[in-house]
Amino acid sequence: MSNIGLQHSAPSASTPAKAPRRGTWNMSLVIGIGLTVGFLVIAIVSFFYLPSNPNIPNIRFRLLPAGSPGHLLGTDVLGRDIVSQLMVGARTSILVGAGGATISLLLGTITGLIAAAYGKIADEAISRSADIMLSIPGMVTALVLAATMGPGALTTIFALTAFFTPSFTRVIRSAAMSVLQEDFITAAKLYGRGRVFILARHVLPNIAGVMIVQFTLYFAAGILTEAGLSYLGVGVTRPSISWGLMLNEAQQSVGISSPLAIWPGLAIVFVVLGLNLLGDGLRDVLDPKLKPRAA
Amino acid sequence: MAIYAFRKLAFFIGALIVASLAIFLLIRAAGGNVAAVVLGKDASAEAINALAHQYGLDRPIAIQYLDWITGMLSGDLGRSFRTNESVADLVTTRLSVSIPLALSGLLLGLVIAVPLGTYAARNVGRPSGTVLALISQVGVAVPAFWAGILLSLLFGVHLGWLPTGGWTPWSTSFTGAVRSLVLPVLSLGIIMAAVMIRYVRSAVLDVMNQDYVRTARAVGMTRTQALLRVGLRNALLPIITVIGLQIAELIGGTVIIETVFSLPGLSRMILANVAAREVIVVQSTVMLIIVFVITVNLIVDLLYGFLDPRVRASA
Amino acid sequence: MMARPALDVRDLVVGNGTLTAVRGVSFTVPAGGRMGLVGESGSGKSMTALALMGLLPMGWNAAGSVLHDGVDLVQQSDRAMSARRGRTLSMVFQDPLSALDPVRRVGHQITSVIRRHTDADRREAERRALELINQMKLPRGEQILRAYPHELSGGQRQRIMIAMALACYPQLIIADEPTTALDVTVQKQVLRLLNGAVKERGCALLMITHDLPVIAAMCDTVAVMYAGRIVEMGPVAEVFRSPRHHYTRGLLDSQPTMDNIALDGSSRLASIPGMVPPLHDLPAGCAFHPRCNAATDTCRMRMPELVGDNAACWNPVAALAELSAP
Repeated sequence: MSNIGLQHSAPSASTPAKAPRRGTWNMSLVIGIGLTVGFLVIAIVSFFYLPSNPNIPNIRFRLLPAGSPGHLLGTDVLGRDIVSQLMVGARTSILVGAGGATISLLLGTITGLIAAAYGKIADEAISRSADIMLSIPGMVTALVLAATMGPGALTTIFALTAFFTPSFTRVIRSAAMSVLQEDFITAAKLYGRGRVFILARHVLPNIAGVMIVQFTLYFAAGILTEAGLSYLGVGVTRPSISWGLMLNEAQQSVGISSPLAIWPGLAIVFVVLGLNLLGDGLRDVLDPKLKPRAA
Repeated sequence: MAIYAFRKLAFFIGALIVASLAIFLLIRAAGGNVAAVVLGKDASAEAINALAHQYGLDRPIAIQYLDWITGMLSGDLGRSFRTNESVADLVTTRLSVSIPLALSGLLLGLVIAVPLGTYAARNVGRPSGTVLALISQVGVAVPAFWAGILLSLLFGVHLGWLPTGGWTPWSTSFTGAVRSLVLPVLSLGIIMAAVMIRYVRSAVLDVMNQDYVRTARAVGMTRTQALLRVGLRNALLPIITVIGLQIAELIGGTVIIETVFSLPGLSRMILANVAAREVIVVQSTVMLIIVFVITVNLIVDLLYGFLDPRVRASA
Repeated sequence: MMARPALDVRDLVVGNGTLTAVRGVSFTVPAGGRMGLVGESGSGKSMTALALMGLLPMGWNAAGSVLHDGVDLVQQSDRAMSARRGRTLSMVFQDPLSALDPVRRVGHQITSVIRRHTDADRREAERRALELINQMKLPRGEQILRAYPHELSGGQRQRIMIAMALACYPQLIIADEPTTALDVTVQKQVLRLLNGAVKERGCALLMITHDLPVIAAMCDTVAVMYAGRIVEMGPVAEVFRSPRHHYTRGLLDSQPTMDNIALDGSSRLASIPGMVPPLHDLPAGCAFHPRCNAATDTCRMRMPELVGDNAACWNPVAALAELSAP
């Protein structure tokens, strides 16, 4: 990803060395898609099939080791199946992570476009507000919301939205501004196109790449944050299941040396890594700044 | 510079006002009747009214806000409903855990990230650079609490070198306090570093390819001298910005790490009070954290203006 | 016996393993001499300059020999080269805004060059910096020295670059398109200053540009580069009056002058057909043959060599009369 940067700024202005053709398929993208698709498939399958009910305790089968019949990764302190919990946890991750990222993307796109296209006053007001919101740590917002609304998936999504929206606003604003400076926008204005038309027909398609990349990266950040909040007990709570919550329960009940503290952590790492790689890979493919200009 | 500093100061004050208003209103709006929340479902109407009156919660909302703010400014952070303890007293002892943890964590993060990020930038395209980029990519995906759990598993449980959690107060044993902070700081530092390495790497990479680094070599510096004297000085600017951005991350990390290692820090106190619905305590301590973050951002901005003549001039 | 030349380049080759940007270039710049290196972007002229300075981008290497001040620069270590750069040979870059450190005052940037290579103390270095600034005809010298690059104009910045390059009385200055990034109105002033300062110090100049009038005004000899090789070399007056290589002739014909810009709009300004071939796809034989209207089968198969002051061409442009014919 960075050797592209080197190509651009290396002082070889007079060498017509063609930038190496960048394949549409790069390693980040391939691994990222693989991990992400796996994650989505597991979440979807969990709606139709679970090895056993992840919320019904069964003391007779408590703390079974991995590889036990019917319990591939064993059971927890209450005898609940780990694999089933992990599968339902994937669902929660998508609900909260993607939910928070989607709402933030919508709000951030609206505010970002307004800031970019509706004059200096709107821009100042929106940009300063975004700056102020960014200076409030997301964790703090989440704690305040949990204190007032009580913990839960919805609270977590709210917290993520408050946390992510200003970042989206900033990114969308600067992307839209650079598109608005292009000559074809001036041409569209000369044709008498209205502002909304220009934003919808010219700006949005041109910043779609940025939006997709940002969505992917914040999806990952959302999963990570949700896991953290649930671990602290201010995020998702039973009967919902979250990987962070599973880690919390494992640490409370059997201590950290149990394999129960390993599986949810691994799940988080793989999924977040997958989404981040996907985001980076997509950026290489979609970001017009990095794309070699067609002659 | 004066104009620039003035603008930043104005933003600082504006941000404090907006943030305090937001927190106050959020808690009042979403929390409903604070006294009823504190006393629970079974409380009588008289008891609720009495508590509300005792804490001035029956007065107009604007007066309550001003009261809170003037109290904060004079160091009065309010009192707990249940124990009637002063929030200021509660906070002070907690800070002796949280501040050393957060600052050492940030420092360790920088100490790891700046050299490694620079190294990664100098070795782009070589195997060592790629491996480092890969490690930081994985590092970013590891949740803070899991990193803490794994480290305490390794150093606490398997090697037995350090306590896996708990706290020895500074007054009891200095070395004991330090020992109980080592693993938390290590976890926090590694988490911070994983994120910052990428920023440092791209900042150094960007600066390294600037013409002025080549000029520095063209007038007689070696490659390394040019990178360290001219390059790092310029890369300092984006790195300082990253520190500002990472403060929020640092707070979040500290909250989680305190829980992992059961340290009696500020965030553990907030968590306990969130569970107990102690709104006043939460409101005041959360505001304290925001003041800290906004202040750090102000310092970062001023430092930036001090280091970059272009910023000073353009403001 | 003649004085040792400021620069003697023999068979310089610059490549990065897969691409070769400079393919065997030889030329000599006599002590105090002024040579122009001309060519389109992509001809390898900037890579030649960077190779001479030992400032090639990562991954690029030079081979051949570059004799300067009694040593072969190609064989020098980075440390040994850094002791020379700015002292015996220095370079002026194209864009002075990006070439100056944005966070240091220009005075500091000049004095640090002086203090690096001489034993002048701070005050002495500052005195010399001010002297240089005055030589560069920059008014209010003390004020300029305290300025940051962004506070100066393009012309002022380039004069600062030239002052830095001249600071330690080098034997050779390499100027890579020193005026391309400047406004047309200040280009001349800057060139005049550079020219004057170089002459006064008896310093040799290697001027790299695609701007033929600049070469004509400032240089004694000229080398024309195409696709990593010198295709024609000789005294400026001779080469420009009667070019022997078809590429040189094409370059000269594509220069606008008062009498080839027709007022009725039917411009007679010529252009060379086609484009500079990419490095990874050079044609066999003479690299220019696909764009040359005098190309023969020999041109397509065998690479012409440059022998002495001549053109590397199998069918050189015949005579002066032919060139100036309508």
